Amino acid sequence: MAVARHGVAIAAFKFLLLISPLAIVVVLSVVVGSLMVVLFGYTSDQKAIAITKDQVKAHLLAVRLYRDQIPVVMSSYGKILRGTGRYLKLSFKPLLWVIVPITLLMVQVDRYLGAAPLPPNLPFLLTVHLTGQTSDALNDVTLVLPPEIAMTAPPVHVPAENAIVWRLVASKEGKYDVKIAAAGQSAAKTVRVGSDLARISTVRLRGQFWERMFSSAEPALPENFPVDSISINYPDRDIEIAGYGMNWIWPFFILSMVAGFIFKEIRGIRI
Amino acid sequence: MKKMRGQHITSGNAQKCRWLRWYFFLLLACVLFPTASHAYAGPGAGFAVLSSFWALFVPFLYSFYALVTWPFRQLFRFFRRRNVYGKATFERAVILGFDGMDPELADRFMKEGRLPNLAKLREKGTFSKLRTTFPPISPVAWSTFMTGVNPGKHNIYDFLARNTNNYLPYLSSAEIKGPKRHIKIGKYSIPFGKTEIKAMRKGTPFWHWLGNAGIFSSVIRVPVTFPPEKFQGVLLSGMCVPDLKGSQGTFCLCTTRTSNDKFREGGVRVPIERKNGVYRSYVPGPDNPLVEKAGELRVDFEISPEARSKSARFVFGSEKFTLKLGEYSEWIPAQFKAGMGVTAHGICRFYLKELSPEIEVYVTPVNIDPGRPDLPISHPVTYSIYLAKLYGPYATLGLAEDTWALNEHVLDDDAFLAQAYGNHEDRERMLFDALDKTRQGLCTCVFDTTDRVQHMFWRYLEEDHPAVRDVPQSQKRLVIQDLYERMDRLIGRVMEKIDDDTLLMVISDHGFKSFARCMNLNAWLHQNGYLTLKDGKSESGDWFEDVDWSRTRAYTMGLNGLYLNIKGREKQGIVDRSEAEALKKELQKKLNGLVDPASGKVGVTGVFITDAVYRGPYAENAPDLLVGYGAGYRASWDSVMGKVTGQIFEDNIKAWSGDHCIDPRLVPGVLFSSHRFVEEEPAIVDVAPTILKLFGLTLPSHFDGKPWTLAAQKNS
Repeated sequence: MAVARHGVAIAAFKFLLLISPLAIVVVLSVVVGSLMVVLFGYTSDQKAIAITKDQVKAHLLAVRLYRDQIPVVMSSYGKILRGTGRYLKLSFKPLLWVIVPITLLMVQVDRYLGAAPLPPNLPFLLTVHLTGQTSDALNDVTLVLPPEIAMTAPPVHVPAENAIVWRLVASKEGKYDVKIAAAGQSAAKTVRVGSDLARISTVRLRGQFWERMFSSAEPALPENFPVDSISINYPDRDIEIAGYGMNWIWPFFILSMVAGFIFKEIRGIRI
Repeated sequence: MKKMRGQHITSGNAQKCRWLRWYFFLLLACVLFPTASHAYAGPGAGFAVLSSFWALFVPFLYSFYALVTWPFRQLFRFFRRRNVYGKATFERAVILGFDGMDPELADRFMKEGRLPNLAKLREKGTFSKLRTTFPPISPVAWSTFMTGVNPGKHNIYDFLARNTNNYLPYLSSAEIKGPKRHIKIGKYSIPFGKTEIKAMRKGTPFWHWLGNAGIFSSVIRVPVTFPPEKFQGVLLSGMCVPDLKGSQGTFCLCTTRTSNDKFREGGVRVPIERKNGVYRSYVPGPDNPLVEKAGELRVDFEISPEARSKSARFVFGSEKFTLKLGEYSEWIPAQFKAGMGVTAHGICRFYLKELSPEIEVYVTPVNIDPGRPDLPISHPVTYSIYLAKLYGPYATLGLAEDTWALNEHVLDDDAFLAQAYGNHEDRERMLFDALDKTRQGLCTCVFDTTDRVQHMFWRYLEEDHPAVRDVPQSQKRLVIQDLYERMDRLIGRVMEKIDDDTLLMVISDHGFKSFARCMNLNAWLHQNGYLTLKDGKSESGDWFEDVDWSRTRAYTMGLNGLYLNIKGREKQGIVDRSEAEALKKELQKKLNGLVDPASGKVGVTGVFITDAVYRGPYAENAPDLLVGYGAGYRASWDSVMGKVTGQIFEDNIKAWSGDHCIDPRLVPGVLFSSHRFVEEEPAIVDVAPTILKLFGLTLPSHFDGKPWTLAAQKNS
């Protein structure tokens, strides 16, 4: 049963992928906004939040009711500040519970919606950063390309950054591996070419567990491989709304907030 | 076995700890890695940020506005205030109204050393009887208190007034009319326009005069202030605010007991039905405003009794709560949905009365929700919301203490007192907030607990009161003494908050006497040939159901008023105006000194022709005569409701055992003050002129009251 549900979820996501990135953002925002409200409801002290917010509103009204009495206004303002501090304190604990799942989720979503695959026949850069060694080591690095990808210029060595940059171009859509060889070992970096929604890894890293978790969608480079990172400058993906292109995070932020505010009213959750 | 359980717990805790460790590790990573910083802008963080921003930004704007405009406003007021406060004797006046506090009882308890704070006021300032109004009924007396005029100028003579077209009663203080126009869409009749609330009380409350001079007032729960009027200050309406049904308080008894009995007044019985092991019932609300003849709106609820813990779990709308036997709930929001997005917002409290063998739940009248008022109950409207946000929901109904429920034995003494003192504590909080906020000007608050508790517990003060004749002396309680001591402690706390620049006055609108015997004045009128019933009838139902108006010369309804059936005024009037004076005198002569044959006591000690008592533009709306009952007597419950019975005098066996709607000379109110007044016979009508004079204002010429003089002023 669980497998079937999982399958349905994957199928639904793939269906959304086929439709448009905006549809994904909308659906995701509504689902995440609603779920976060439920999670907030379960992990927060709802009664204390309700009382604190009511108190803040009361002092807010006092500012208006007694506006001719400056001592009352100032005292109310002080109470508003204290109440807001108390509210933030009460929100902190549920926020701790909310941040982790949402961060992990957004990292995964960003791999699909944060960058676009490389367009065919347009040059792109592949950069290899070596482990802190001498500049001779740069000469030792070689690149092995599949037939669909060609080098358009000789590699540029940047000794100050211990890096080599290749200018490449792909002739056909597809998923390819380019191989980087150094010190008798080699490692591959996936290159996505095309226009579809694909899981894109802009960089492959060695070690750096947390950095890899948040930035890379590929396995770690071999431990004794003299390369720190292999990266490709994929273009950013813009979500088009009313003719304006923007990073997916903005519509996600706004829509999830709206969904959350609507859902909180339905469920009677105080946030 | 114990060890194994312990191991299991340890293992469970260890697993939980590991989870928590991982969670916080992940959390730390999320926070520390800037590459994913955009991820924090999710909805969770967004809610907190937006809410906090809103909470800070809006008051900041308000405060900024208040600060920037303050010098200009102060400058504008400076000239007005300079005159006012320049001539003012006090910076602030605090008036505490204890509805029904009796001077004789207060004196007795002071002599017994039970009221040290009132005794301090007596020593330092004033303690005196305060002459009340004709009749000595709260809405009449408090209207006079606030306007400084006799009832002929403020138009309130009783709780009820009569419609001269049909002899039916209506509420004397306010008239609520729904929108005049409706748009019909299918079965719906959508109201178009606003609900109209017309104040029937005339005259200008003295805080309006203060406001005009730039003096701020906080006015809390003064009777007959509904609908609230605009002035410079804040006001929360008191007595006469209706419940959500539009009545003066309709409680609900939900019960599994089958009974066809109806409560005489003030309550309805609603069945609790059992289905699939769950008990279900409902709380009735207002009539559906959108569908004609659709009946009342309801909010259903479920009860799941738990016999072992002697409690029950309630699901009421979206609210879930558990009550133990004999326990009240908090105020629970009740939303009556009429459809098309129209909802009436109320609040009510549940009281678990019985669990076995039957289930009975008492529900208070559904009060207007002060946090979302469907009718204005304060000025400005935001004041009731402010108080609700600050202290939580509170009773808004004018007569919030459910005396009917105690009369009908739906509540017992303890449950009634718990309810009354719960409301009282809310009002104390409101008073102290108003004292904090009103450093200059007027702060006044009326507590009705004194009135309600004395009405319901006077029976314990008298050994032979018919309502407790069979209760042994040892079981009679000291409720009224406790009440006075509680009020004294309140005064003590108020005295700690004020200085010598503040005048503190404690007043009551009337005193109290026993209500042991009822007199049905309609029965007397019937037996003496002034009121005639339809042929074949010896008694009449409520509201003169069987009265033959074509042969009736006089009738009574309400507490003290006696009306002539005057031609041209009453629709079926037969008394010629030229005969009216003679008839009034005849009735006065016959009724005055009327003796109760059973006890030999005088049941009526004074009958007053109102032409001689009232002066003013609304005097014509007054009853023709006022009947002043003797101590121990009052109009019978039936007589008040226009019923004609066979018996004139009868015992009052209801818990409502003390009263004040009698001869006003027998029930003066009380006056205490922190500064000594030189006045032989102070009256409640003098309060308004006195306050205006103390603030240095010119008195309006239409005032009937005379301002009192301070002893210090007289000496100087």
